Amino acid sequence: MPAKTERTAPVRTADDALVRAGRALRLVLLIALAALFLIPFYLLVRNGLASEEEITSAGWTFFPSRPHWSNVRELFADPDVPMAHALLNSSLIAVATTAGTLLLASLAGYGLARIPYRHANAVFYAVLGTLMVPAAVTFVPSFVLVSSLGWVSTLRGLIVPTLFSAFACFVFRQYFLGFPRELEDAAQVDGLGYWRTYWRVVVPNSRPVFAAVGTIVFIGAWNSFLWPLVIGQGRSSWTAQVALSTFTTAQTINLHELFVAATASIIPLLLVFLLLQRYIVAGVERSGIDD
Amino acid sequence: MSAPGSTRRRPRGRERNRALWFWTFVGPFVAGLALFTYVPLAWSVYLSLFDAHNTVSPTDFVGLDNYTAMLGDPAFRSSLVTFAVFTAFIVPATYALSLGLALAVNRLRFAQAFFRSVFFLPSACSYVVAAMVWKLSVFNGVRFGLANTVLGWFGAEPVAWLASTDPPWYWLVIVTVRLWLQAGFYMVLFLAGLQRVPVRLYEAAALDGARPGWQTFRHITFPALRATSVAVVLLLVVGAFQAFDEFYNLLSDSRGYPPYARPPLVYLYYTALGQGQDLGLGSAGAVILALIIAVVTVVQSRVSGLGRKEE
Amino acid sequence: MPISRRQLMAGGAGLALTGALGSACGSHTGRGGGGSSGPRLSQWYHQYGEAGTRQAVIRYAAAYKEADVRIEWRPGNYDQQTAAALLTSSGPDVFEASGPTLDQIQGGQVVDLTDLVKDVKDDFSQVVLAPKTHDGRVWGIPQLVDTQLLYYRKSMLRDAGVRPPGSLDELIDAARKLSTGKVKGLFLGNDGGASALDGTPLYAAGLGLVTDGGEVGFDDPAAARTLGKLHRLYADKSLLLGAPTDWADPGAFLQGLTAMQWSGLWALPRIRKELGDDFGVLPFPPDGPSGRPAVPVGAWTAAVSARSEHREAAKAFVKWLWIDRTDHQEDFALSYGFHVPARNSLAAKADRLKTGPAAEVVRFTKEYGGAAQPLLWTPPSRTVYQDALNRVIKGGADPEAELRAVVRKAGAELRRVRKRA
Repeated sequence: MPAKTERTAPVRTADDALVRAGRALRLVLLIALAALFLIPFYLLVRNGLASEEEITSAGWTFFPSRPHWSNVRELFADPDVPMAHALLNSSLIAVATTAGTLLLASLAGYGLARIPYRHANAVFYAVLGTLMVPAAVTFVPSFVLVSSLGWVSTLRGLIVPTLFSAFACFVFRQYFLGFPRELEDAAQVDGLGYWRTYWRVVVPNSRPVFAAVGTIVFIGAWNSFLWPLVIGQGRSSWTAQVALSTFTTAQTINLHELFVAATASIIPLLLVFLLLQRYIVAGVERSGIDD
Repeated sequence: MSAPGSTRRRPRGRERNRALWFWTFVGPFVAGLALFTYVPLAWSVYLSLFDAHNTVSPTDFVGLDNYTAMLGDPAFRSSLVTFAVFTAFIVPATYALSLGLALAVNRLRFAQAFFRSVFFLPSACSYVVAAMVWKLSVFNGVRFGLANTVLGWFGAEPVAWLASTDPPWYWLVIVTVRLWLQAGFYMVLFLAGLQRVPVRLYEAAALDGARPGWQTFRHITFPALRATSVAVVLLLVVGAFQAFDEFYNLLSDSRGYPPYARPPLVYLYYTALGQGQDLGLGSAGAVILALIIAVVTVVQSRVSGLGRKEE
Repeated sequence: MPISRRQLMAGGAGLALTGALGSACGSHTGRGGGGSSGPRLSQWYHQYGEAGTRQAVIRYAAAYKEADVRIEWRPGNYDQQTAAALLTSSGPDVFEASGPTLDQIQGGQVVDLTDLVKDVKDDFSQVVLAPKTHDGRVWGIPQLVDTQLLYYRKSMLRDAGVRPPGSLDELIDAARKLSTGKVKGLFLGNDGGASALDGTPLYAAGLGLVTDGGEVGFDDPAAARTLGKLHRLYADKSLLLGAPTDWADPGAFLQGLTAMQWSGLWALPRIRKELGDDFGVLPFPPDGPSGRPAVPVGAWTAAVSARSEHREAAKAFVKWLWIDRTDHQEDFALSYGFHVPARNSLAAKADRLKTGPAAEVVRFTKEYGGAAQPLLWTPPSRTVYQDALNRVIKGGADPEAELRAVVRKAGAELRRVRKRA
């Protein structure tokens, strides 16, 4: 339906009034859509600050008559769900995964894009092929593998197996294919090898793509659920998503606490997101994710 | 793959040197990928040829029995149909919504950053959180759900969104979760694409008398976005194939999963990882699924010419 | 409705703080008490909804001196997690199981516990011990007895002029009459009843999931007749669907969203606290000439992983907790949720089960109780049966045709497990 915004614009006439009406209509539509998109965030905050009775009452209250900030205290004091620790774990995992993935995938992407090698194509397709294999397909063997390494319930187990993102590698390769060759050539003339060219010339000129891929990886790591659920078996290795799931799968559901927890789990991410948003957009524009 | 010069004659030593550098850059990544993706994948294929109940080192070789059992299982076949229906909904819907958003936001003279942020923001949310909001607050089946409250204002009866199969309202819930989560991300891809459309194309079109709006979109903008469109559709299809999180979080209960809206991954999850733990059968299903995905993706990229640009 | 946690908060702020601090520092809050020596054992529980249960099991573990027992409190899909963990040596030593399943037993994933129970075997409720027994060997020690039953609001039934239903037809009628716009007559779970009821309607028709001889127990026209009736509940719009909590939680019943709800004895303390005397309990009502009231009974059991490095120590701990320490068993069954103790001698002593609705439940459990999940009824059979039941209830599918397909598939599955034995 939003594709219609284009169509509903007045195309039949150049009449100024109509053009302006079309613009106004588009703006109204956009505002309506924006409101729809914000509803879930509103619900998170509303339910998180409401009392249980207000959430489940028959009459809709737009906002709790009195915000129950005690819900927040209750959440962080709940002995059954170590939310603070889970948030810390999620942060550690997301940061480490992002750093590791950026390093490994960008190196690989550069190598695939720029270092002439007979079997480079074969390697590239081998990487690309894994994009098509859903993680759940190999889930059980992966779990057994990690556990035979003795990594269950360790941060290692939660982080290392997720570092090898074919998607990130693919994006970096596409980006580096379009990287201006002149810059590298100049470096090569200066006698720098691949390694030093990469670190001194390529990386400093590629910040947006690193920011873009980094954000995507960070979000993915923060939000991943199935893997941490099974690998993070001890309460001390729960992530925020796992802690959240404890509210929904329990015999009893504690709605207000659940929504406070959900809100707490997305706030760090929203901050990162809002701060880095312009890099993502710029990165996407230059990276060729969409080429 | 642009590897100019690789066909030209080079001194041996230089070539070896390059191979060395290639593996220095690519080696660690490929080694990890091999260990954490290819080894489990091979293991899955191996398991699929055995009667592997509750074991990952089976001894009872059964050949292709698991494959015939899986293909003969009406529940698995219907899960493939579910998946096809879901893809048929979600791919065009996300494509249209994100392109529409991009076009609308792109033309804004003010508050562009605000609207872009609003639509982009949900991309940061997890399926767990989104499914929770949808299931428990927006589309719960009782009187205090948002959707039912709104219906109530118009005097309508509450609808059990996730539980009613006639009409299948659960599709509305499932599709809107994913739309909300994803549209913003693809909108940004389209926005990036729009930035790259040369202004002179529009100027030329205006000179030729093309009216702004639909005609310009049809003849200039849309063709110029072709590369972006191809990539978006490919990502959407691959994403749809991997659908698991929202289905699982919306529809599973403590005892299992209903027989409808059960895509292949969810069905396999219950077959292989549930208490049944029939790893042989589950692996066979996974291999079948992976083959289908591979074929579809390859065909799609051949048809749409993905990667042709690189030559 | 989750007063439980808030109450706990009020009552045990100190405990809560300790827990939060402990976990914030990354230590195991489930650590056994100081001074215990011996091997370290990991014991898993699924997440109980009733407040205080976790603290209780930590207390039991701390009181055990022969091993350092650490509690893992597992949220989420517990059966899936244990199944995956049993494949590895990093899983639990001792774990709570709704099974163990036949395939886990036949696959050698759990340890034979027969010698632990040999002296007290007759003291266990036979209806819960039987599904844990295979070829005369016992593979799990029942921790408690979970009875499922029907709750109804007396006042709502009175106002609608409805008597507590004594047959399936009366239940269907009552549910229809009790449905008024925003309040529904009956809650059988958010899926319409397929997963909560499971084999219960078959028992009510005088049949079962599996016969004593190990054959499919519902290859009978009566089965299709009874299951077919359930569709009327859905067609009449008498069923509550899409509640935020599922059937195991009394939330929907307590919030007044439904007049009757299928749930378990565990929910009784909360219901009594909020509704006082305004509720009654019933078995699932009988149907047809050979029908009888159905009271499905299940049990969480303690099992020992065959992959454990300390099998003997783990067995010793299980014997200590679930055989010897009757005081802990009593506390576990009665102090948090509400369960009948698995040992007849303890059940007979339990004062709280002697009066009111609880006594009634104990009475009809004794009279009509049957295993909710027979051991031979393996997950593939359950899936195909519940899928069919779901289609019958909600889609109005032809019960005869649906059941024919189930009988075929479940029959093949039963032949498979018999062959393996």
